[in-house]
Amino acid sequence: MSPGWLFKMALRDSRKNRSRLLLFISSVIFGIAALVAIYSFGYDLQKNINDQAAELIGADLAISSGNPIDKKLQPLIDSLGDRKSMQQSFASMALFPKSNGTRLVNVRALQGAFPYYGSLETTPVQAASTFRTGQQALVDATLMLQFNAVVGDSIKIGDISFKIAGVLNKAPGQTGISSSVAPVVYIPLQYMPQTGLAKTGSRIEYSYFYKYDKPVDMTALVKSIGPRLEKDDIRYETVAMRKENTGRFFGDLTRFLSLVGFIALLLGCVGVASAMQVYIKEKISSIAIMRCLGVTGTKAFLIYLIQIICIGFVGSVIGAFAGSFIQTVLPLVMKDFLPFEIKTTISWLAIGQGIALGIIISILFALLPLLSIRKISPLFTLRMSYEQVNTAKDPLRWLVYLLIIAFIAGFTFLQLQSIAGSLFFTLGLLAAFFVLTVVAWLLMWFVRLLVRNSWSYIARQGFANLYRPNNQTIILIVSIGLSTAFICTLFFVQDILTKQLIISGSANQSNMILFDIQTSQEKALAGVTRQYGLPVIQQVPIITVHIDEINGKTKAEAEKDTTFRPRRWIYNSELRVTYRDSLTSSEKITRGKWIGRAGPPGALVPVSLDERFAQGNNIQIGDTIVFNVQGTDVATRVASFRSVEWNRVQTNFRCVFPAGVLEDAPQFHVLLTRVPSKELSVKYQQAVVRQFPNVSIIDLALVLAILDELLSKIGYVIHFMAAFSIITGLVVLIASVRISKYQRIQESVLLRTLGATRRQILAITSLEYFFLGSLSALTGIVIAVIGSWLLAKYSFHLPYVVNAIPAVITFVAIAVLTVVIGLLNSNGILNKPPLEVLRKDV
Amino acid sequence: MFLTYIKQSFVIATVVVFSACGNSNKPAADEKNPAAAAAAPDSSVSAQKQTILFFGNSLTAGYGLDDPSTQAFPALIQDKIDSLKLPYKTVNAGLSGETSADGKNRIGWILKQKVDVFVLELGANDGLRGIPVKETIKNLQAIIDTVKLRSPAAKLVILGMQVPPNMGKDYTTQFKAIFPQLAAKNNMALVPFLLDGVGGIPALNQRDGIHPTAEGDKIVAANIWKVLQRVLQP
Repeated sequence: MSPGWLFKMALRDSRKNRSRLLLFISSVIFGIAALVAIYSFGYDLQKNINDQAAELIGADLAISSGNPIDKKLQPLIDSLGDRKSMQQSFASMALFPKSNGTRLVNVRALQGAFPYYGSLETTPVQAASTFRTGQQALVDATLMLQFNAVVGDSIKIGDISFKIAGVLNKAPGQTGISSSVAPVVYIPLQYMPQTGLAKTGSRIEYSYFYKYDKPVDMTALVKSIGPRLEKDDIRYETVAMRKENTGRFFGDLTRFLSLVGFIALLLGCVGVASAMQVYIKEKISSIAIMRCLGVTGTKAFLIYLIQIICIGFVGSVIGAFAGSFIQTVLPLVMKDFLPFEIKTTISWLAIGQGIALGIIISILFALLPLLSIRKISPLFTLRMSYEQVNTAKDPLRWLVYLLIIAFIAGFTFLQLQSIAGSLFFTLGLLAAFFVLTVVAWLLMWFVRLLVRNSWSYIARQGFANLYRPNNQTIILIVSIGLSTAFICTLFFVQDILTKQLIISGSANQSNMILFDIQTSQEKALAGVTRQYGLPVIQQVPIITVHIDEINGKTKAEAEKDTTFRPRRWIYNSELRVTYRDSLTSSEKITRGKWIGRAGPPGALVPVSLDERFAQGNNIQIGDTIVFNVQGTDVATRVASFRSVEWNRVQTNFRCVFPAGVLEDAPQFHVLLTRVPSKELSVKYQQAVVRQFPNVSIIDLALVLAILDELLSKIGYVIHFMAAFSIITGLVVLIASVRISKYQRIQESVLLRTLGATRRQILAITSLEYFFLGSLSALTGIVIAVIGSWLLAKYSFHLPYVVNAIPAVITFVAIAVLTVVIGLLNSNGILNKPPLEVLRKDV
Repeated sequence: MFLTYIKQSFVIATVVVFSACGNSNKPAADEKNPAAAAAAPDSSVSAQKQTILFFGNSLTAGYGLDDPSTQAFPALIQDKIDSLKLPYKTVNAGLSGETSADGKNRIGWILKQKVDVFVLELGANDGLRGIPVKETIKNLQAIIDTVKLRSPAAKLVILGMQVPPNMGKDYTTQFKAIFPQLAAKNNMALVPFLLDGVGGIPALNQRDGIHPTAEGDKIVAANIWKVLQRVLQP
């Protein structure tokens, strides 16, 4: 018999019931479509976020120096990038001739097409490009408001006046607080000489922005030019460096997307595997007949292997393209709801991955039941599978298990690029699988014990379905349970992550910092702040101190003492400390005990140190430190270490004194507030400057605006991917429950023939599916809670709080859904006379 | 450093703004504790020597120097005094980031000790922040008034400052005029420009372009000494 015959047989066998085959293929399709759609969305969104992140700098590479670039370095500077811009920025007093007002501004003299990512957002829009050609300026919106200036007015920078071409609303590449102390004014660089501001002694920051038109390995580039630049005190920054410094969000997003990818794979597995399991099971009688007719076990195995590969291939191809179709069409459909444009590109990588994975998963998961084909004896024709084929002893079966585990581990490794990570994911999955199987076994064992003959027929039959031969308990509990676990895990994790984003998002952040407030002005300024309806988010005193003695040793003594533990440079540092009687919400005591009030005079004052500061300087709890508070010695004892949450705009201190010691020491105060609008910001700043001319104001609104946009995008992506994966998860779940359709048909039809009413059959089916659905959903949720806790703790390093409401909703939804699908499955039989069904379908 | 934000660059920028977080001195070379000295004015050393109090910002404090207690200009002046065997000891009461308004607030605390020569070095941070000139004048005058009230016999010296030319001609001119004006009004000795020969020369300044290096501080000390020696040895 030739391979041709095998193929022919595979085809012939599939002919018997094409509609049934379609159902199996559809399960493969859903699994792979989910996988491909999730992957391609992941690629798209990651790219979107990366582009957005580039706006933080506005170029691929930025370098800057406080001095003009040395001539020797000029060739290097010129050789970089495909396009470049130059900028000189500096502080200066600008004059608005119309209102005769002056104010410190941050002048940026620009040449070139910067920014290359994002744009200078101006009113009118074209001003962002037109100002570069003439003696024109772009002026920060708050500054315009402050001096009642309008477009077309002039602003004097240095010796010459510039026509205001537009109002600057947003600018990429804000270089931080230094530029926020003063509002920004852009002028063209070619007018720099005429301003007369660049003279000996002028403090000017020279920056170069580079854009690479073709992808360049920036890490390697920076590695090669970095040392040379550093030697000349030239700073450099790439988008990747900025992302790393911007905080945990990009990392969180990447981790989340790999989690989603992993789950997509598993959803694919669930979809395909459950189809294959049931499919082969159903084929057992045909195989037995073929064996009777002389087909060897191996040949039977090959016939169905060919069939499975074909089914897997067809399903995967259709699924892959369906996934891409969803990916392309969905953003268009949802256009009006999306806060930003998703640029979708067909990802051939995702399609290829989908098809390959689909076939591999099909084969791997079909192999398990296929192996038993070899052992099916012709006798089965007679016995009709009342005895289950016992294959547990087949060594090849273990090989297949091993292959499946290796496949999942290997694939996870491709996703995570971390051996430990993929190991934990795989182990976690195995554990989940094991737990679900055990739960299924326990259910069967328990129900078997429980069922009594005294029960009504319906109840007995419904329960008995769970453990009698031809039961579907294990396969359904595992597939429903795993799907539920994935759905819930995604939900919990996205909840944790978005909470973090909300905390860091600007809605709860201060965006204006006032400092140099004198003690006599403290109350009055807080009053003015409230008068403008603004919150006083934080108001803290700041005292400068330095360290005279540690553990009784002065700097000179410490230098002689080789056993001295703390680092000696700590003596040289000037510390800014504060005092208060309680911790702030962003602080946590990690060691020791927080003491908010100083003891009686003469006692050692208990202070709290920032954990990292203490560790960096080798200071331990119980060390005594004598602080020199501007001439007065204060002897203290390190009572506690604090950890501080860093991703907020707030004041943080290396050392906090308790109340009752430093109240009279010379100090200034810092006030943090949040100003909702530019108009209010201007009015408030004017009032502050008028009444408290010495107070300096940092307006972070412009800087935070860009960051905020980014955070909300990241938040959106997380929501979107979670929601999308959850929906696909549900679809896969439905498909895998739907697979069980033919399992119960024969019995239902027999029952009908024996005179069972429609209602009785409905009740029996409901009971069975309700138990399967609710038990697996419950187990799945428990697995999800444990899984997301582990993820939160070890992968995202975030505090974990279980949100009970979505868990309950998921439980109810999945249980109901399972029953509904189960009932729908038997719908066809119930609505027709038994004979018709018998003839057609069995 | 006390203000943090998720961007490291912000933190660095803040440090510059606040001129905080760096190496600072312990006041004056051998003088660990000026207030303690004030509390015990009869102790043998301080009874014999007169006190020169340098009241200023990071320039006085020696911000960014490896060892401000020996390299900042008050310490260099002490060296000069010691080599001439004059009966003076210097006290460094410099505080990084201090503006004239901060100084006005702190002066009372500092004047707990006896002062014979009061050297005022404030205003530079006002200038870098573009604080109106008349505000700076008002605060500096208040400091001088406090010193006159608390130590009527003290001889007064004021150190003149300038802001970099990038601030614009009007402001730099007005700012420069603050110090001769106050000196004349209060009969103070004037060092016309503290950073004369240092400001704007990259080799003599630290990376930030504001604070002199140890080498630069030697020139600064010489600038001061030219005026101070006439005050100490009339």
